Amino acid sequence: MSRLLQTGAGVIIFAAGIVPLPAQPPPAQPPRPGRSFLISRDVPDPAGVERGQKIFVARCGFCHGSNANGGESGPDLVRSVLALDDEGGDKIGPVIRNGRPDKGMPAFPLTDDQIKDVGAFLRSRQQAAINRNAYTIQNIVTGDAKKGQAYFNGAGRCNTCHSPTGDLGGIANKYDPVALQSRLVYPRTQRPRRAEGPEPKVIPTPVTVTLASGQTVTGTLEYIDDFDVALRDASGDYRSFTRDAGVKVDVRDPLAAHEELLKKYTDEEMHNLVAYLETLK
Amino acid sequence: MKLSRLIFPALLAASLSAQGLDPAKLMKLSTDTWPTYNGDYSGRRFSPLSRINASNVTSMTLAWEYRINLGSAADGDNTSVKSTPLEVNGVLYFTVPDHAWAVDARTGRQLWHYKWETHGGIHIGNRGFGMYGDWLYFETPDNYLICLNAKDGTERWHVEIADVKQEYFSTPAPIVVRNHVIVGVGGDSLDVPGYLEARDPETGQVQWRWNSTPRKGEFGADTWPNQEAMEHGGGMTWVPGTYDPELNLYYLGTGNPNPVMAGQGRKGDNLWTCSIVALNPDNGKLAWYFQASPHDTHDWDAAQTPVLVDGQINGQSRKLIVQASRNGYFFVLDRTNGKNILSKPFIDLNWSKGVDAKGQPIPDPAKEPHTNGTLVIPASGGASNWPPPSFDPETGLLYVNSSSSYSLFYLTDTEDKPEGYGGRDSGVWSKVALKAIDYKTGQIRWSHEYGRGGGGSGILTTAGKLLFTGDPYGNFIAYDPATGHILWHTHLIANVSNGPMTFELDGKQYLVVGAGDSLYAFTVLH
Repeated sequence: MSRLLQTGAGVIIFAAGIVPLPAQPPPAQPPRPGRSFLISRDVPDPAGVERGQKIFVARCGFCHGSNANGGESGPDLVRSVLALDDEGGDKIGPVIRNGRPDKGMPAFPLTDDQIKDVGAFLRSRQQAAINRNAYTIQNIVTGDAKKGQAYFNGAGRCNTCHSPTGDLGGIANKYDPVALQSRLVYPRTQRPRRAEGPEPKVIPTPVTVTLASGQTVTGTLEYIDDFDVALRDASGDYRSFTRDAGVKVDVRDPLAAHEELLKKYTDEEMHNLVAYLETLK
Repeated sequence: MKLSRLIFPALLAASLSAQGLDPAKLMKLSTDTWPTYNGDYSGRRFSPLSRINASNVTSMTLAWEYRINLGSAADGDNTSVKSTPLEVNGVLYFTVPDHAWAVDARTGRQLWHYKWETHGGIHIGNRGFGMYGDWLYFETPDNYLICLNAKDGTERWHVEIADVKQEYFSTPAPIVVRNHVIVGVGGDSLDVPGYLEARDPETGQVQWRWNSTPRKGEFGADTWPNQEAMEHGGGMTWVPGTYDPELNLYYLGTGNPNPVMAGQGRKGDNLWTCSIVALNPDNGKLAWYFQASPHDTHDWDAAQTPVLVDGQINGQSRKLIVQASRNGYFFVLDRTNGKNILSKPFIDLNWSKGVDAKGQPIPDPAKEPHTNGTLVIPASGGASNWPPPSFDPETGLLYVNSSSSYSLFYLTDTEDKPEGYGGRDSGVWSKVALKAIDYKTGQIRWSHEYGRGGGGSGILTTAGKLLFTGDPYGNFIAYDPATGHILWHTHLIANVSNGPMTFELDGKQYLVVGAGDSLYAFTVLH
């Protein structure tokens, strides 16, 4: 490879094309549809889930509930060990076709495909309960916007830093209510870190480092721990300092007012503020 | 205390190889051995070693580093070392999910690597091995208990301890008490019941099972509205417990109830979730319980290590348990009977209306998750979590990496019978601090603030008047345990991800700590 590289750029491109693959390429991983940290089993095909839901609601829902979480006469099938154990209808099929006469469940003559679809629907219901990261948050705009406005300009003193026609103008178009509630309580920031790589947008934190000599360096905080501090100065240069004896570090937290309010908010005040900010479209 | 209780006779009779664990090592603080998750049964993680000490720690240096390399097959593997290695006869044994290693404790040289072919399950972490004679035991994300030969890492047998299809996954290090391999399970995605089991060290067969929620008609059933709720009520057993050989009681902190954040389908206290329980390790019978969070709706399990302290209360010698619990309360109990001595918050919190006559916190219903969001401190991750704390008998302080964190808790499932979590929370702010708590008063003797950030590292204290732990920025730090003054630090490849441990070999003390996919050993050269 290095010999080829000496002959020119065109050859490099060619060489890249003929670089032999590793002697033993990693084996192709079987596809694992939809798997994630919380979901370690395959996610069923949506079309099958839809068909299965129709069958389930029509044939099974009366006893097991249309969401399969149990009814007056039929057990919860979302938590059912048999339904969890099922793969492609292999466990639920015999129960559906034979019924459970001893427990009052009649037999249902469903086809193999229909049973498979019912299995897909049950798997989707199980996974909907399992995957908490996908839960839908309901309506959170329940507060009183007028009271929220009064709090904004009064007890909350939000107007000290913010303006409904300035920085917060149109804020309701920028964030959905859940994000807005989270951000008003405390805006998202990225904690300082040592690792390289692109930093998400952060709210700049001013810092002044006073060295033992009395010299001061000011800038925007890049990193701080018990032992080191780093900043970017006005000219964009990165500077880091060891926090030896005699070195003073003064960090001005731009979000200190948010931190103070965290301890004071009632939930009602928070919900009123969300309702008020939702009017800023 | 009968000798027969201390040492399992059959094992004594059996010929122990040079590699095997002498069970007597489990019974007292060792200097050359770290034979169980917490170093000994007490959960104190206090080592009597002092060769590395406050006067020479500044010259502590790297002895070796071992980095996990699983190659291209590592996709999806979690290689963060959360296990506390065992050290027996010069060999370290440690795990990550599905993988286990033995390395030379003097050099870090790999002796063997074992890999389990997984069937799934949540790969969040593994806390390590238990050991019995020549045999090692660890659990897998798909809920197998695996027995390995310590000599060469070959598998002796595996047995299933829970069903991965019901969303159980297992992380604890088994704790060996005589001939009982005590195993716990985890998993709160889908409303399954928790339990603790003792397994036979030779065969893996069940000796007893203790259910962490009652069955119909049993004591405690009246703290649930109906049979279905209690049999789907959670209460996982996911952090190793502690053991008092004199009382012959095994102490365990139990997990949160299910559905996790939606409590409307399980009105009542929900025993024995979020509790500290005392069990007889020979039969699994409950001796007493104390509930840290009655009717929890914030994922605040009480699984944190129940640390055994032999202390003085009002001039009386007492057998105590102390726990810095996930809900933000520091508890002191009498471990002979579970009676509460002290309940005091170790962070500011906003969910409790004080404690009842039994010392159990009274939750404020207004701070349960609501559909429009409830602002609560601490967040679901809690004021403390699984990273092991440490108690130093010389200072009388319990040390814990604590988090003050606000989160918005949303109820998402408003049905009468919700499922799974039934809600979610969204952390908005957190600050972490290392806190030193006086067990007699619950007062914070000193606190070292780390600023914003999350996570937490385990803690070790030693007779060398040192405390070792990690900060949220990848530093491994030695503190003076009496004052919180920093004596030494170094920066590792990642945050300290396990509980640091120590041992002495050939007159040299080693300090071993895990950080991400790496294990580091430090020592002082003489």
